[in-house]
Amino acid sequence: MKPSLIPAAMLLLCTASATAWAAPGTVLRNEKLYAQPSASARVAGTVAKGASVNILAKQGGWLRVTSGKTTGWIRLLSVRAGAGGLGGAGVGDVVGAATTRSDPSRVVAVAGLRGLNEEDLKQAKFDANELARMEALSVTPTQARSYAGQSGLAAVNVPALPAPKPAESSSSWETN
Amino acid sequence: MKIKLMILAVSLLAFNGAAAGIDFGKLLEERINKELNKDKPTQPAPAQPSSTAPAATQNAAASPPPEKQKVDARQLGFALFGEYSIEEENRIGRQVAGDLLGAVKLVRDDKLQNYVNLVGNWVAQQSGRKDVTWRFGVIDSEDINAFAAPGGYVFVTKGLYRRLNNEAELAGVLGHEIAHVSQKHHLKLLKQSSLIGALGQAASSKAKDSDQVVQNLIGNGAEIMARKLDKNAEFEADRVGIVYAARAGYTPWGLPNVLQDLAGLPAGDARTGLLYKTHPHPADRLAELGEAVDGRLDAVRGKELANRFYRVQ
Repeated sequence: MKPSLIPAAMLLLCTASATAWAAPGTVLRNEKLYAQPSASARVAGTVAKGASVNILAKQGGWLRVTSGKTTGWIRLLSVRAGAGGLGGAGVGDVVGAATTRSDPSRVVAVAGLRGLNEEDLKQAKFDANELARMEALSVTPTQARSYAGQSGLAAVNVPALPAPKPAESSSSWETN
Repeated sequence: MKIKLMILAVSLLAFNGAAAGIDFGKLLEERINKELNKDKPTQPAPAQPSSTAPAATQNAAASPPPEKQKVDARQLGFALFGEYSIEEENRIGRQVAGDLLGAVKLVRDDKLQNYVNLVGNWVAQQSGRKDVTWRFGVIDSEDINAFAAPGGYVFVTKGLYRRLNNEAELAGVLGHEIAHVSQKHHLKLLKQSSLIGALGQAASSKAKDSDQVVQNLIGNGAEIMARKLDKNAEFEADRVGIVYAARAGYTPWGLPNVLQDLAGLPAGDARTGLLYKTHPHPADRLAELGEAVDGRLDAVRGKELANRFYRVQ
Protein backbone atom coordinates (compact mmCIF):
# COMPACT_ATOMS: atom_id res chain seq x y z
CA MET A 1 0.00 0.00 0.00
CA LYS A 2 2.75 2.41 0.95
CA PRO A 3 4.39 2.79 -2.48
CA SER A 4 1.13 3.86 -4.11
CA LEU A 5 0.92 6.88 -1.80
CA ILE A 6 3.70 8.73 -3.57
CA PRO A 7 2.18 8.87 -7.06
CA ALA A 8 -1.18 9.67 -5.51
CA ALA A 9 0.30 12.59 -3.64
CA MET A 10 2.11 13.77 -6.76
CA LEU A 11 -1.13 13.68 -8.71
CA LEU A 12 -2.84 15.73 -6.04
CA LEU A 13 -0.01 18.23 -6.04
CA CYS A 14 -0.30 18.67 -9.79
CA THR A 15 -4.01 19.29 -9.70
CA ALA A 16 -3.84 21.66 -6.75
CA SER A 17 -2.99 24.67 -8.86
CA ALA A 18 -5.62 24.03 -11.53
CA THR A 19 -8.69 26.22 -11.55
CA ALA A 20 -11.10 23.46 -10.64
CA TRP A 21 -10.74 21.39 -7.51
CA ALA A 22 -12.66 20.65 -4.37
CA ALA A 23 -11.24 21.83 -1.10
CA PRO A 24 -12.71 22.79 2.24
CA GLY A 25 -12.99 26.45 3.13
CA THR A 26 -14.33 28.65 5.90
CA VAL A 27 -16.39 31.80 5.34
CA LEU A 28 -14.74 34.86 6.94
CA ARG A 29 -17.72 37.22 6.91
CA ASN A 30 -21.41 37.21 6.15
CA GLU A 31 -21.63 37.11 2.38
CA LYS A 32 -23.81 36.61 -0.63
CA LEU A 33 -23.45 33.79 -3.11
CA TYR A 34 -23.93 35.01 -6.66
CA ALA A 35 -25.08 33.01 -9.67
CA GLN A 36 -22.13 34.39 -11.65
CA PRO A 37 -18.69 35.71 -10.58
CA SER A 38 -19.98 39.28 -10.48
CA ALA A 39 -21.62 41.46 -7.83
CA SER A 40 -24.26 42.45 -10.38
CA ALA A 41 -25.36 38.84 -10.90
CA ARG A 42 -28.42 37.28 -9.31
CA VAL A 43 -28.00 36.42 -5.62
CA ALA A 44 -28.29 32.66 -5.21
CA GLY A 45 -28.08 32.59 -1.44
CA THR A 46 -26.21 33.80 1.60
CA VAL A 47 -23.58 32.29 3.88
CA ALA A 48 -22.80 33.24 7.46
CA LYS A 49 -19.41 33.96 8.91
CA GLY A 50 -17.81 30.77 10.16
CA ALA A 51 -19.76 28.52 7.80
CA SER A 52 -17.95 25.68 6.06
CA VAL A 53 -18.00 25.61 2.30
CA ASN A 54 -16.60 23.39 -0.38
CA ILE A 55 -14.46 25.28 -2.89
CA LEU A 56 -15.11 24.05 -6.41
CA ALA A 57 -13.36 26.52 -8.69
CA LYS A 58 -11.54 29.81 -8.83
CA GLN A 59 -11.89 32.67 -11.29
CA GLY A 60 -10.17 35.99 -10.78
CA GLY A 61 -11.34 37.44 -7.48
CA TRP A 62 -14.08 34.83 -7.10
CA LEU A 63 -14.48 31.30 -5.78
CA ARG A 64 -17.26 28.93 -6.74
CA VAL A 65 -18.43 27.21 -3.60
CA THR A 66 -21.17 24.97 -2.30
CA SER A 67 -22.75 25.60 1.05
CA GLY A 68 -25.41 23.08 1.97
CA LYS A 69 -27.67 22.85 -1.07
CA THR A 70 -26.61 26.17 -2.53
CA THR A 71 -23.86 26.64 -5.07
CA GLY A 72 -22.63 30.05 -6.11
CA TRP A 73 -19.77 32.50 -6.44
CA ILE A 74 -18.27 34.27 -3.44
CA ARG A 75 -15.49 36.84 -3.20
CA LEU A 76 -12.05 35.27 -2.89
CA LEU A 77 -11.23 37.39 0.16
CA SER A 78 -14.35 36.27 2.03
CA VAL A 79 -13.18 32.67 2.34
CA ARG A 80 -10.10 31.07 3.79
CA ALA A 81 -8.86 27.82 2.35
CA GLY A 82 -8.70 24.91 4.78
CA ALA A 83 -11.12 23.75 7.42
CA GLY A 84 -9.34 25.50 10.26
CA GLY A 85 -12.24 27.74 11.15
CA LEU A 86 -11.90 31.50 11.39
CA GLY A 87 -8.15 31.36 11.65
CA GLY A 88 -5.70 33.10 13.90
CA ALA A 89 -7.91 32.91 16.98
CA GLY A 90 -6.94 36.45 17.83
CA VAL A 91 -3.37 35.73 18.78
CA GLY A 92 -2.05 35.83 15.23
CA ASP A 93 0.07 32.80 15.90
CA VAL A 94 0.33 29.10 15.26
CA VAL A 95 -2.03 28.52 18.17
CA GLY A 96 -4.93 29.23 15.88
CA ALA A 97 -3.51 27.14 13.12
CA ALA A 98 -3.01 24.20 15.47
CA THR A 99 -6.56 23.14 14.82
CA THR A 100 -6.16 23.34 11.06
CA ARG A 101 -6.94 20.11 9.33
CA SER A 102 -4.44 20.17 6.56
CA ASP A 103 -5.33 19.87 2.93
CA PRO A 104 -3.83 16.48 2.00
CA SER A 105 -2.65 17.78 -1.36
CA ARG A 106 -0.35 20.19 0.43
CA VAL A 107 1.51 17.68 2.52
CA VAL A 108 5.12 17.70 1.46
CA ALA A 109 7.81 15.83 3.30
CA VAL A 110 9.14 18.28 5.86
CA ALA A 111 10.61 15.89 8.38
CA GLY A 112 14.12 16.88 9.35
CA LEU A 113 13.78 20.36 7.93
CA ARG A 114 14.37 23.10 10.41
CA GLY A 115 13.26 26.54 9.42
CA LEU A 116 14.96 29.89 9.75
CA ASN A 117 14.72 31.11 13.29
CA GLU A 118 15.48 34.13 15.40
CA GLU A 119 18.75 32.67 16.59
CA ASP A 120 20.06 32.24 13.02
CA LEU A 121 19.30 35.86 12.32
CA LYS A 122 20.75 37.10 15.59
CA GLN A 123 24.00 35.23 15.04
CA ALA A 124 24.32 36.37 11.43
CA LYS A 125 27.58 38.05 10.51
CA PHE A 126 27.62 40.76 7.85
CA ASP A 127 28.54 39.21 4.49
CA ALA A 128 29.97 41.91 2.23
CA ASN A 129 30.59 39.56 -0.70
CA GLU A 130 27.05 38.28 -0.80
CA LEU A 131 25.71 41.82 -0.52
CA ALA A 132 27.92 42.91 -3.43
CA ARG A 133 26.54 39.99 -5.40
CA MET A 134 22.98 41.08 -4.71
CA GLU A 135 23.72 44.67 -5.65
CA ALA A 136 25.35 43.57 -8.90
CA LEU A 137 22.25 41.57 -9.84
CA SER A 138 19.88 44.54 -9.59
CA VAL A 139 18.37 46.05 -12.73
CA THR A 140 17.59 49.59 -13.81
CA PRO A 141 14.04 50.99 -13.94
CA THR A 142 14.39 51.18 -17.71
CA GLN A 143 15.25 47.49 -17.99
CA ALA A 144 12.30 46.60 -15.77
CA ARG A 145 9.89 48.77 -17.75
CA SER A 146 11.06 47.20 -20.98
CA TYR A 147 10.62 43.68 -19.60
CA ALA A 148 7.11 44.57 -18.40
CA GLY A 149 6.26 45.90 -21.83
CA GLN A 150 7.37 42.66 -23.49
CA SER A 151 4.35 40.91 -21.96
CA GLY A 152 1.99 43.83 -22.44
CA LEU A 153 2.12 45.08 -18.88
CA ALA A 154 1.37 48.79 -18.63
CA ALA A 155 0.85 51.04 -15.64
CA VAL A 156 -2.80 51.20 -14.58
CA ASN A 157 -4.42 53.88 -12.46
CA VAL A 158 -5.72 52.11 -9.35
CA PRO A 159 -6.71 54.23 -6.33
CA ALA A 160 -5.31 53.38 -2.91
CA LEU A 161 -7.52 51.28 -0.66
CA PRO A 162 -8.89 52.90 2.48
CA ALA A 163 -7.93 51.46 5.85
CA PRO A 164 -10.84 49.63 7.48
CA LYS A 165 -12.47 51.75 10.16
CA PRO A 166 -11.23 50.39 13.51
CA ALA A 167 -7.53 50.78 12.84
CA GLU A 168 -6.36 50.00 16.35
CA SER A 169 -7.46 46.39 16.46
CA SER A 170 -6.88 43.39 14.25
CA SER A 171 -10.12 41.85 15.34
CA SER A 172 -12.36 44.29 13.51
CA TRP A 173 -13.78 41.42 11.49
CA GLU A 174 -14.80 39.64 14.65
CA THR A 175 -17.04 42.42 15.81
CA ASN A 176 -19.10 43.15 12.74
CA MET B 1 34.31 75.48 12.83
CA LYS B 2 34.98 73.52 15.98
CA ILE B 3 33.18 76.07 18.09
CA LYS B 4 30.18 76.12 15.82
CA LEU B 5 29.96 72.37 16.06
CA MET B 6 30.06 72.57 19.82
CA ILE B 7 27.31 75.14 19.95
CA LEU B 8 25.11 73.19 17.62
CA ALA B 9 25.76 69.96 19.46
CA VAL B 10 25.03 71.47 22.82
CA SER B 11 21.85 73.12 21.69
CA LEU B 12 20.71 69.90 20.02
CA LEU B 13 21.32 67.98 23.21
CA ALA B 14 19.45 70.54 25.19
CA PHE B 15 16.58 70.49 22.77
CA ASN B 16 16.24 66.73 22.66
CA GLY B 17 16.78 66.13 26.31
CA ALA B 18 20.15 64.87 27.40
CA ALA B 19 19.48 61.15 27.52
CA ALA B 20 18.00 60.75 24.07
CA GLY B 21 20.56 63.08 22.52
CA ILE B 22 23.56 61.24 23.87
CA ASP B 23 22.15 57.90 22.78
CA PHE B 24 22.51 58.83 19.18
CA GLY B 25 26.23 59.14 19.62
CA LYS B 26 28.20 59.09 16.46
CA LEU B 27 25.30 59.12 14.04
CA LEU B 28 24.21 62.40 15.48
CA GLU B 29 27.70 63.77 15.35
CA GLU B 30 28.03 62.82 11.70
CA ARG B 31 24.77 64.48 10.95
CA ILE B 32 25.89 67.66 12.65
CA ASN B 33 29.13 67.58 10.72
CA LYS B 34 27.22 67.15 7.50
CA GLU B 35 25.05 70.13 8.27
CA LEU B 36 28.01 72.27 9.26
CA ASN B 37 29.98 71.42 6.16
CA LYS B 38 27.39 73.06 4.00
CA ASP B 39 28.41 76.48 2.77
CA LYS B 40 25.70 78.14 4.81
CA PRO B 41 25.70 76.73 8.35
CA THR B 42 22.22 77.10 9.77
CA GLN B 43 21.47 78.19 13.27
CA PRO B 44 19.96 75.86 15.83
CA ALA B 45 16.33 75.65 16.76
CA PRO B 46 15.34 79.00 18.25
CA ALA B 47 16.73 80.96 15.33
CA GLN B 48 14.59 79.34 12.64
CA PRO B 49 13.58 82.14 10.34
CA SER B 50 10.47 80.83 8.69
CA SER B 51 7.03 81.63 10.03
CA THR B 52 6.04 77.98 9.71
CA ALA B 53 8.90 76.92 11.94
CA PRO B 54 6.88 76.12 15.06
CA ALA B 55 4.63 73.75 13.16
CA ALA B 56 7.59 72.16 11.44
CA THR B 57 9.45 71.56 14.66
CA GLN B 58 6.43 70.06 16.33
CA ASN B 59 6.01 67.42 13.74
CA ALA B 60 8.69 67.31 11.11
CA ALA B 61 7.44 64.07 9.61
CA ALA B 62 3.82 64.93 9.09
CA SER B 63 3.68 67.47 6.29
CA PRO B 64 6.76 67.79 4.11
CA PRO B 65 7.49 71.50 3.92
CA PRO B 66 9.37 73.09 1.01
CA GLU B 67 12.90 71.82 0.45
CA LYS B 68 14.83 74.48 2.40
CA GLN B 69 12.66 74.33 5.49
CA LYS B 70 12.66 70.57 5.42
CA VAL B 71 16.39 70.48 6.05
CA ASP B 72 16.05 72.95 8.91
CA ALA B 73 13.27 71.02 10.58
CA ARG B 74 14.94 67.69 10.21
CA GLN B 75 18.27 68.73 11.59
CA LEU B 76 16.62 69.56 14.88
CA GLY B 77 15.52 66.11 15.83
CA PHE B 78 17.26 63.90 13.27
CA ALA B 79 15.96 60.40 13.82
CA LEU B 80 14.38 61.23 17.12
CA PHE B 81 11.62 63.45 15.88
CA GLY B 82 12.10 63.77 12.15
CA GLU B 83 12.72 61.17 9.49
CA TYR B 84 15.82 59.30 8.56
CA SER B 85 17.45 60.76 5.48
CA ILE B 86 17.76 58.51 2.45
CA GLU B 87 21.50 58.17 3.17
CA GLU B 88 20.78 57.03 6.70
CA GLU B 89 18.07 54.71 5.45
CA ASN B 90 20.47 53.19 2.92
CA ARG B 91 23.15 52.67 5.53
CA ILE B 92 20.72 50.92 7.82
CA GLY B 93 19.29 48.81 5.01
CA ARG B 94 22.73 47.84 3.75
CA GLN B 95 23.72 46.59 7.19
CA VAL B 96 20.47 44.65 7.71
CA ALA B 97 20.70 43.10 4.24
CA GLY B 98 24.36 42.16 4.68
CA ASP B 99 23.58 40.57 8.03
CA LEU B 100 20.68 38.59 6.61
CA LEU B 101 22.88 37.36 3.76
CA GLY B 102 25.35 36.25 6.41
CA ALA B 103 22.68 33.84 7.63
CA VAL B 104 21.25 32.77 4.26
CA LYS B 105 22.99 32.96 0.88
CA LEU B 106 21.44 33.95 -2.41
CA VAL B 107 20.30 31.08 -4.62
CA ARG B 108 23.05 30.51 -7.18
CA ASP B 109 20.83 31.03 -10.21
CA ASP B 110 21.48 34.36 -11.92
CA LYS B 111 18.56 33.92 -14.32
CA LEU B 112 16.21 33.56 -11.38
CA GLN B 113 17.70 36.57 -9.60
CA ASN B 114 17.52 38.67 -12.76
CA TYR B 115 13.89 37.68 -13.32
CA VAL B 116 12.88 38.59 -9.77
CA ASN B 117 14.67 41.94 -10.09
CA LEU B 118 12.90 42.74 -13.37
CA VAL B 119 9.48 41.97 -11.90
CA GLY B 120 10.20 43.57 -8.53
CA ASN B 121 11.64 46.77 -9.92
CA TRP B 122 8.59 47.23 -12.16
CA VAL B 123 6.21 46.76 -9.23
CA ALA B 124 8.34 49.09 -7.10
CA GLN B 125 8.04 51.79 -9.75
CA GLN B 126 4.34 51.97 -8.85
CA SER B 127 5.20 52.80 -5.24
CA GLY B 128 6.12 56.40 -5.92
CA ARG B 129 9.42 56.11 -4.02
CA LYS B 130 11.94 57.27 -6.58
CA ASP B 131 14.76 57.87 -4.09
CA VAL B 132 15.25 54.15 -3.47
CA THR B 133 17.52 51.80 -5.41
CA TRP B 134 15.57 48.54 -5.37
CA ARG B 135 17.33 45.20 -5.03
CA PHE B 136 15.62 41.84 -4.96
CA GLY B 137 17.01 38.46 -4.06
CA VAL B 138 15.85 34.87 -3.67
CA ILE B 139 17.60 33.36 -0.66
CA ASP B 140 18.50 29.72 -0.28
CA SER B 141 16.15 28.60 2.47
CA GLU B 142 13.26 26.14 2.46
CA ASP B 143 11.52 28.40 4.96
CA ILE B 144 8.40 30.11 3.64
CA ASN B 145 8.93 33.82 4.14
CA ALA B 146 9.87 37.15 2.62
CA PHE B 147 11.72 40.09 4.10
CA ALA B 148 12.25 43.77 3.41
CA ALA B 149 14.95 46.01 4.76
CA PRO B 150 15.01 49.81 4.62
CA GLY B 151 16.60 51.29 1.55
CA GLY B 152 14.88 48.89 -0.85
CA TYR B 153 16.40 45.48 -0.12
CA VAL B 154 13.76 42.78 -0.64
CA PHE B 155 14.17 39.04 -0.08
CA VAL B 156 12.02 36.03 -0.88
CA THR B 157 12.95 32.56 0.30
CA LYS B 158 13.22 29.73 -2.20
CA GLY B 159 10.62 27.90 -0.09
CA LEU B 160 8.05 30.61 -0.72
CA TYR B 161 9.08 31.19 -4.34
CA ARG B 162 8.54 27.52 -5.13
CA ARG B 163 4.91 27.72 -4.03
CA LEU B 164 4.11 30.53 -6.48
CA ASN B 165 2.18 29.69 -9.63
CA ASN B 166 2.56 32.77 -11.78
CA GLU B 167 4.17 36.20 -12.10
CA ALA B 168 1.15 37.95 -10.55
CA GLU B 169 1.63 35.99 -7.33
CA LEU B 170 5.30 36.96 -7.29
CA ALA B 171 4.28 40.59 -7.90
CA GLY B 172 1.84 40.37 -5.00
CA VAL B 173 4.43 39.01 -2.58
CA LEU B 174 7.00 41.60 -3.68
CA GLY B 175 4.32 44.31 -3.53
CA HIS B 176 3.77 43.52 0.16
CA GLU B 177 7.50 43.82 0.87
CA ILE B 178 7.87 46.97 -1.25
CA ALA B 179 5.04 48.48 0.78
CA HIS B 180 7.00 47.86 3.99
CA VAL B 181 9.81 49.94 2.47
CA SER B 182 7.63 52.68 0.99
CA GLN B 183 5.71 53.02 4.26
CA LYS B 184 9.02 52.88 6.22
CA HIS B 185 7.63 50.31 8.66
CA HIS B 186 10.99 49.02 9.83
CA LEU B 187 12.39 52.51 10.29
CA LYS B 188 9.43 53.35 12.50
CA LEU B 189 9.96 50.18 14.50
CA LEU B 190 13.64 50.98 14.77
CA LYS B 191 12.96 54.47 15.98
CA GLN B 192 10.61 53.24 18.70
CA SER B 193 12.90 50.48 19.93
CA SER B 194 16.12 52.41 19.62
CA LEU B 195 14.79 55.22 21.75
CA ILE B 196 14.10 52.70 24.46
CA GLY B 197 17.41 50.92 24.60
CA ALA B 198 19.51 49.57 21.79
CA LEU B 199 21.01 52.94 21.05
CA GLY B 200 22.72 53.12 24.38
CA GLN B 201 25.38 50.93 22.85
CA ALA B 202 26.13 53.44 20.15
CA ALA B 203 27.30 56.02 22.62
CA SER B 204 29.63 53.68 24.43
CA SER B 205 30.95 52.02 21.28
CA LYS B 206 34.51 53.02 20.44
CA ALA B 207 34.23 51.58 16.94
CA LYS B 208 35.42 53.86 14.18
CA ASP B 209 33.74 51.76 11.50
CA SER B 210 30.50 53.33 10.37
CA ASP B 211 28.90 49.95 9.86
CA GLN B 212 29.48 49.22 13.52
CA VAL B 213 27.52 52.31 14.39
CA VAL B 214 24.57 51.12 12.38
CA GLN B 215 24.97 47.63 13.79
CA ASN B 216 24.66 49.09 17.26
CA LEU B 217 21.63 50.97 16.12
CA ILE B 218 19.80 47.94 14.72
CA GLY B 219 20.84 45.35 17.29
CA ASN B 220 22.40 41.93 16.75
CA GLY B 221 22.85 40.67 13.22
CA ALA B 222 19.64 40.59 11.23
CA GLU B 223 17.59 40.31 14.41
CA ILE B 224 15.38 43.18 13.31
CA MET B 225 14.02 40.88 10.59
CA ALA B 226 12.77 38.50 13.28
CA ARG B 227 11.01 41.24 15.16
CA LYS B 228 7.30 41.52 14.84
CA LEU B 229 5.99 44.60 13.15
CA ASP B 230 2.74 46.05 14.35
CA LYS B 231 -0.18 43.95 13.06
CA ASN B 232 -1.61 46.98 11.36
CA ALA B 233 1.66 47.47 9.50
CA GLU B 234 1.25 43.97 8.02
CA PHE B 235 -2.37 44.63 7.08
CA GLU B 236 -1.34 47.93 5.53
CA ALA B 237 1.42 46.24 3.53
CA ASP B 238 -1.16 43.75 2.17
CA ARG B 239 -3.51 46.58 1.23
CA VAL B 240 -0.85 48.76 -0.34
CA GLY B 241 0.99 45.82 -1.92
CA ILE B 242 -1.94 44.48 -3.93
CA VAL B 243 -2.57 47.99 -5.26
CA TYR B 244 1.07 48.22 -6.41
CA ALA B 245 0.70 44.88 -8.20
CA ALA B 246 -2.55 46.03 -9.81
CA ARG B 247 -0.98 49.32 -10.89
CA ALA B 248 1.80 47.33 -12.52
CA GLY B 249 -0.81 45.61 -14.70
CA TYR B 250 -1.10 42.35 -12.79
CA THR B 251 -4.29 40.87 -11.42
CA PRO B 252 -4.69 42.06 -7.82
CA TRP B 253 -5.48 38.48 -6.74
CA GLY B 254 -1.89 37.28 -6.71
CA LEU B 255 -1.18 37.97 -3.05
CA PRO B 256 -4.63 36.76 -1.90
CA ASN B 257 -4.02 33.47 -3.70
CA VAL B 258 -0.66 33.08 -1.97
CA LEU B 259 -2.35 33.78 1.38
CA GLN B 260 -5.00 31.17 0.55
CA ASP B 261 -2.23 28.69 -0.15
CA LEU B 262 -0.51 29.47 3.16
CA ALA B 263 -3.82 29.27 5.05
CA GLY B 264 -4.17 25.70 3.82
CA LEU B 265 -0.70 24.61 4.96
CA PRO B 266 -0.50 22.10 7.79
CA ALA B 267 -0.21 23.65 11.24
CA GLY B 268 3.14 23.44 12.95
CA ASP B 269 5.01 23.19 9.65
CA ALA B 270 8.59 24.14 10.52
CA ARG B 271 8.84 26.19 7.33
CA THR B 272 6.26 28.71 8.53
CA GLY B 273 7.49 29.04 12.12
CA LEU B 274 9.13 32.43 11.72
CA LEU B 275 6.43 33.66 9.32
CA TYR B 276 3.69 33.09 11.88
CA LYS B 277 5.83 34.49 14.64
CA THR B 278 6.17 37.78 12.80
CA HIS B 279 2.92 37.98 10.81
CA PRO B 280 -0.78 37.64 11.60
CA HIS B 281 -2.31 34.34 10.50
CA PRO B 282 -3.09 34.30 6.75
CA ALA B 283 -6.79 33.85 7.54
CA ASP B 284 -6.77 37.09 9.53
CA ARG B 285 -4.90 38.80 6.71
CA LEU B 286 -7.46 37.62 4.14
CA ALA B 287 -10.33 38.81 6.33
CA GLU B 288 -8.76 42.22 6.93
CA LEU B 289 -7.94 42.61 3.24
CA GLY B 290 -11.50 41.61 2.38
CA GLU B 291 -12.86 44.47 4.47
CA ALA B 292 -10.62 46.95 2.70
CA VAL B 293 -11.14 45.63 -0.84
CA ASP B 294 -14.84 44.68 -0.85
CA GLY B 295 -15.97 45.51 -4.38
CA ARG B 296 -13.36 48.18 -5.04
CA LEU B 297 -11.24 46.05 -7.37
CA ASP B 298 -14.11 44.45 -9.26
CA ALA B 299 -13.40 46.46 -12.38
CA VAL B 300 -9.63 45.88 -12.32
CA ARG B 301 -8.44 43.47 -14.95
CA GLY B 302 -4.87 42.31 -14.91
CA LYS B 303 -2.50 39.68 -16.13
CA GLU B 304 -1.36 36.51 -14.36
CA LEU B 305 1.53 35.72 -16.72
CA ALA B 306 1.87 32.06 -15.80
CA ASN B 307 3.79 31.30 -18.98
CA ARG B 308 6.82 33.44 -18.43
CA PHE B 309 7.01 32.71 -14.70
CA TYR B 310 10.52 31.41 -13.98
CA ARG B 311 10.37 28.07 -12.23
CA VAL B 312 13.05 26.86 -9.85
CA GLN B 313 14.11 23.27 -9.48
